[in-house]
Amino acid sequence: MPQRIEVRLAWRNVWRNWRRTALTVAATVFAVFLVEMSVAMSAGTHSKMIEDGVKMASGHLTLSGRGYLEQRTLEQFVPASAELERLLDRTEAIIGWAARVSSFALLSFGDRSNGVAVLGVDPARESSVSSLPTRVSSGRFLSSDGRREIVLGAALARDLAAEVGDELLLYGIAYSLETAYELFRVVGILRIPSPDLERALALISLRDAQEFFVYGDRVSEIAILARDAEAGLALRDPLEAALVALGTEGLELYGWAELMPELEQFVLLDRGGMYLQLIILVVVVGFGILNTILMSVLERTRELGVMRALGLSSGAVSRIVYLESMAVSAVGLVIGLALAAPCALYFEQNPIPLRGEFEAMTELLGMEPLIVFDFAPAQVGYVSLMVAIVALLAAAYPAFKAGRLRPVDALRSL
Amino acid sequence: MNWRLCWLSWLAAVACSLALAGFPAAAELLPAPAGVDASAIAKGAEGSLRADRTFFRARMTVTSPRLARPRVIEFSSWEDLPRKRSFVRIHRPAKDAGTSFLKQHPNLWMYIPRVERTVRVPPSMMSQSWMGSDFSNDDLVRESSEIEDYSHRLLGVDPDEGQGSGAYVLEYLPHESVAVVWGRIVAWIDIESGFALRQEFYDEDGEKLRLLRFEDVREVEGRRVPHRWTLTPLDKEGHETRIEMLEIAFDPELADSIFTRRNLEKGR
Amino acid sequence: MWLRMAWRNVWRNPRRTGIVVSAVAIGIGACLFSMSLSFGVAQQMVTTAIETQLGHLQIHAQGYEENRDLSTRLEDGGKRARAALSARSDIAAFASRVRGQGLLNSPRASAGVRIVGIDPVAEAQVTSLAKSLVQGVWLDGQSPRVLIGERLAKRLQVGIGKKLVLSVQDLAGELTGRAYRVGGIFHAPSSELNSSVVFVSLDQAQSLFGLGEAVTEIVVVAKEDDGLDRIQAELRAELAGVAEVRTWAELQPLLKYMAGAVHQNAYVMYATVFVAMAFGIANVLFMSVHERAREIGVMLAMGMKRWRIVALVVAESLLLTLVGLFIGIAAALLGTLAFRDGIDFSAFAEGLAAFGANSRVAPVLRAEDLMVPIGVGSFAALLASVWPAWRVASARPADSLRRL
Repeated sequence: MPQRIEVRLAWRNVWRNWRRTALTVAATVFAVFLVEMSVAMSAGTHSKMIEDGVKMASGHLTLSGRGYLEQRTLEQFVPASAELERLLDRTEAIIGWAARVSSFALLSFGDRSNGVAVLGVDPARESSVSSLPTRVSSGRFLSSDGRREIVLGAALARDLAAEVGDELLLYGIAYSLETAYELFRVVGILRIPSPDLERALALISLRDAQEFFVYGDRVSEIAILARDAEAGLALRDPLEAALVALGTEGLELYGWAELMPELEQFVLLDRGGMYLQLIILVVVVGFGILNTILMSVLERTRELGVMRALGLSSGAVSRIVYLESMAVSAVGLVIGLALAAPCALYFEQNPIPLRGEFEAMTELLGMEPLIVFDFAPAQVGYVSLMVAIVALLAAAYPAFKAGRLRPVDALRSL
Repeated sequence: MNWRLCWLSWLAAVACSLALAGFPAAAELLPAPAGVDASAIAKGAEGSLRADRTFFRARMTVTSPRLARPRVIEFSSWEDLPRKRSFVRIHRPAKDAGTSFLKQHPNLWMYIPRVERTVRVPPSMMSQSWMGSDFSNDDLVRESSEIEDYSHRLLGVDPDEGQGSGAYVLEYLPHESVAVVWGRIVAWIDIESGFALRQEFYDEDGEKLRLLRFEDVREVEGRRVPHRWTLTPLDKEGHETRIEMLEIAFDPELADSIFTRRNLEKGR
Repeated sequence: MWLRMAWRNVWRNPRRTGIVVSAVAIGIGACLFSMSLSFGVAQQMVTTAIETQLGHLQIHAQGYEENRDLSTRLEDGGKRARAALSARSDIAAFASRVRGQGLLNSPRASAGVRIVGIDPVAEAQVTSLAKSLVQGVWLDGQSPRVLIGERLAKRLQVGIGKKLVLSVQDLAGELTGRAYRVGGIFHAPSSELNSSVVFVSLDQAQSLFGLGEAVTEIVVVAKEDDGLDRIQAELRAELAGVAEVRTWAELQPLLKYMAGAVHQNAYVMYATVFVAMAFGIANVLFMSVHERAREIGVMLAMGMKRWRIVALVVAESLLLTLVGLFIGIAAALLGTLAFRDGIDFSAFAEGLAAFGANSRVAPVLRAEDLMVPIGVGSFAALLASVWPAWRVASARPADSLRRL
């Protein structure tokens, strides 16, 4: 443990050449600020990407019948019981959940007809789980008490030459193997980033879908939204256990990463790239600290020699050098964080809007044109740890040199 | 004329096809007599099911583990093969009564009286189930003929099938350009009276995908005609679609007016 | 002479200078190398898209912007466009295509697909799809064969030589079905191609869709990557009223945007790294100037112009930085050379494929990419020298001499 005298010596040494120290501290402040902002920005961006992706389709978790993912027919269903609903409502980690019915059917208007993927959604619950209700480009979304309403993908509406207000025929085979046909009125048109999906998607209300396909209380899938991706991940095992306890057999719980591996990999790749760049930055600053400490040590050869002669152990001398490095870094860290944290917090509340070309591009991807920040106290911990490690590493060589100093040689250099 | 050689080579062929195609109980197949025209036999079997023009009224029963009670549909069908057109009208159940299908090569039209809408069935719907049965819309339209679009080969004789004298076992192979997904069809045909007994549909890897049985053979207009068709899909458990002929007529007069869009809208 | 002096000053304390130079070298080297990987991915994205699908330019019938239906077609097969292209010397190759959609059926499954009818010979000169074949052979225009992606083959549960039925609605709106056999299976870098596109020969597509001689588009590959705008303008003028001409960037603006974003990220990266370095460089300069205070005082007393000394300091800063830059760039280039066959990122294959990039990423560094770090570095060096130079500029000879 460093003794008080060592700490005082270290601190005094640090400020002896204030300009040199100031420059090193400035570099550290700069690096810490950037690291914290980058980490916050990337956390925010990735979080948003995942949220957007998850809200497009599946939620963080999808509960469905066994084999639903591959086959997607009415055969694979989730029996939506009151107990299941209570379980989902009760689970705190679940921010929102929505049941859906999904099947293939024929949609016809005039002499045009298309095979479509019909999705029965609960208008009241759907907005708590997906962004579909917000993607209406004309007309409106389904209403909770509306009957026989239908919303079409824009490309589908174009294919059928249908507009808001038109009555379309929906025809399919129900779960009971009866033929199902009904006239539905178009209340809204959706724009979705995926043109293939836009061409094939038609939404009706969950109740209408269950009636149409004679499904009773069954649903095809339940999309579950957690607070964020980590919470979703943490939720999976306990939820599975709870479902088993409920006695619901033959159900599968999928994570979003299984449904969208590209998204998960992109996030990992991007995050990895960012960490690489930050490490480079930090290494550069580390060299600066190394230089400063080393110069400081070499300048004080005589002084150190005297101290050694007076009985200060070589270990103590080394420790003093380490302490100096830590001191410089700590000052830089504290100032850097003091500057970065409020900024990150501010941007967290007020995301930076993208303008011009960037705006157009992100909207094409179906994302909001914003740069999002996500500040978490844990980030402060990581940054501090990183700085501490760098400070120790940078001080290694100078401390080693200082420790090896022989009082005789030091005094001789007078 | 050397029976032993014939027998041995046949055994070898059967062993090979066993390995490749999971031929059921193939060891029981006897060699066919020489000089038998496979295509003629196939034509004869086809004749027991339909003529160039056919009218029939039938009851279709769909069984599935999902259903507590099988679904029953009654319909009439007018088929005009040479002019590639056909017409089907549903009589029962009440919800579907009056629903009609018109096939005019190459399109399939459907009319639903309750909502008074005529729909052209798009390509994406063709592989979907017809009326909830195990037949698809594609099967209904049946663009291809098992006689003209396939080549026929006699595989042997199955002594256990058929009435008394056993059954010819034929292999139908689709011509290269024909738009069907089957790799081959294996057909059992009664030797004595030439009617169709059974058909097994295989994919190109030799896996059996569905089974069609023909039973309840009665005499109609001088032909021996199976009055019960049973389709069993082999990729779905517990599914079966049975068609029982209530009335069947071969080469009746079929007015052109039957095969029109106007007729679709005639409802009941 | 001054330069030599500056150089000598720089190396007066080799260890100190060495550390700073190492910092610059490592910083820039690592930065450049990681950038080169990003550039590699971006370039692959663009190259892959151009080589497997887009070409440099595409020609469509009028009205393609509003209506990308089967009916928007070049009715005579685009004779005028083809003539205009053949007459040019800067076009490497072009090929006609038909685009439509339909349903592909196998005995076990069916899938909605996009259908592309290609002229096998011409297409092979325009796109590199032929290289993506993992099984089977390229189309030969004769037999009714199709090419499908690996994922599609898996979904339909078919292999080479197996039969598929393609059902479409033709130009007249009639239902048509044809049987084809799988002639080849490809694994393209784009997951979209792999899972939902089927290639047939142009003749087959034209007859399937009832198009006669018509085609949907003509894909053009120019001899050079640059100058596309000029080619586009000239073709547009020639084919006005007959056809529309688009560059790949107009067809896929997202692609261009993403490729650009990578470069912008690089600039930010360089800037931050160099600013961090600037502090370290400034520190070293201070120490160096401080040590030479007496020497400088003497020079000033002897009448040397002040600005010369300032210039000296600045020169030292630049030299220091440039040496580090040089080493760093050399290291990065070596790295690029060493890994020119690419680094395996197959753990991220799906993510990369979604962007149309291979799972093997080769680093890419062009001469112009190096200009930026050199420029930014030099600027940082100048910035770093400001404070020390100012100190020198305002030093009083008397003070320095007194330190004797």
